Amino acid sequence: MLSFCQWLQSTAFFTEMRGSGIVYPTILSLHVLAIAMFGVMILVTDMRLLGAMRKYPVAEILDKLRMPKRAGFLLIVTCGLLLFGAKAEEYYYNVFFRAKMIILLLILIHAAIFRAGVYRNGAALDAGGLTGQARLAGGLSLVLWFGMMMCGRGVGYIEPNLFILHARVEPIQTLPIAAPSALPAAGRTGAERTQTMLRVSVL
Amino acid sequence: MSGGRAFAGQGIFIVLIQAQVANALNGSALIFPALEIFHITGFALLIGSITLVDLRMLGIGLTRQEPAELNQTLFPWTLAGLVLIFFTGPLMYSTDPDMYYLNWSFLIKMMCLTAALIFHFSIHRKSVRQGGTSKAVAYMSLTLWASVVFGGIFIGFVNQGLGIGGV
Repeated sequence: MLSFCQWLQSTAFFTEMRGSGIVYPTILSLHVLAIAMFGVMILVTDMRLLGAMRKYPVAEILDKLRMPKRAGFLLIVTCGLLLFGAKAEEYYYNVFFRAKMIILLLILIHAAIFRAGVYRNGAALDAGGLTGQARLAGGLSLVLWFGMMMCGRGVGYIEPNLFILHARVEPIQTLPIAAPSALPAAGRTGAERTQTMLRVSVL
Repeated sequence: MSGGRAFAGQGIFIVLIQAQVANALNGSALIFPALEIFHITGFALLIGSITLVDLRMLGIGLTRQEPAELNQTLFPWTLAGLVLIFFTGPLMYSTDPDMYYLNWSFLIKMMCLTAALIFHFSIHRKSVRQGGTSKAVAYMSLTLWASVVFGGIFIGFVNQGLGIGGV
């Protein structure tokens, strides 16, 4: 997995993207914008399942928001994959990123579990009232997505360990003993960090 | 910086750039991330709820209701989002006022935010009340709010007054 991440971010495409001061933040902006625009659709669905917005039939909210939510999810995931590719190795070590992927997995499991009983069952929920299962699905979804967002923000707060990154390319042993103080200020991007590491190894 | 810039509400900025405020906020490593989480939640509520209305105006999503009705249902969420961003935003600004003041992306973001708010509470509101049939208004609204998000993200990627990228 680690070597896959190292290979992925070393491809020409992702190296270019990581080094670009415009492309990377643009994709990040799209990622965040899509979260803002489509996150509320999830919130509306969850709140309706929990019993709010009773003027709106459950079936209408579930069925009419299904395609927009899917489109939003697709956009978020596409941008997310691109962002991951640019810094794959760094994220491999990032504890928040790992937590985020686990939550994503849980979200997919959540969708599979409640699909038949809740999300494809809007008309019955309107006729017979909200079931405990529907409320559970809404509540769990709220918690999972909020956790997802918090982990997403947390990802940016983990400072990458320069001495682990590119460990396979630049073994730690080749660094001078006084490496921490000899290292120039860490660059923002992985590409600059690579340059830093190379420079150090030449010393 | 040029010292002559005075504007209405300058007082609040003078309070925000006081060292005591910044020190209190920078005292814990957890405060800024916590502010950011609330800020993100806030703009997600704000922009997401407005997007639902805009999509309705474009014929997508919750189309059974009139745009005005949908807007009314979602208004508490929009308002909650506004309160959150206006509470957390200035606090985040005060943690590092010089950086934000000199950051051109921040300045663009503030201009876009002002434009988006004025647009939302004038033309957008009027159009929604009149049936919300104008697609141009919906596209304009989406574009304005998107530009605010872009401006916000780019704050972290631009250098003070030097342009995009590079170190």
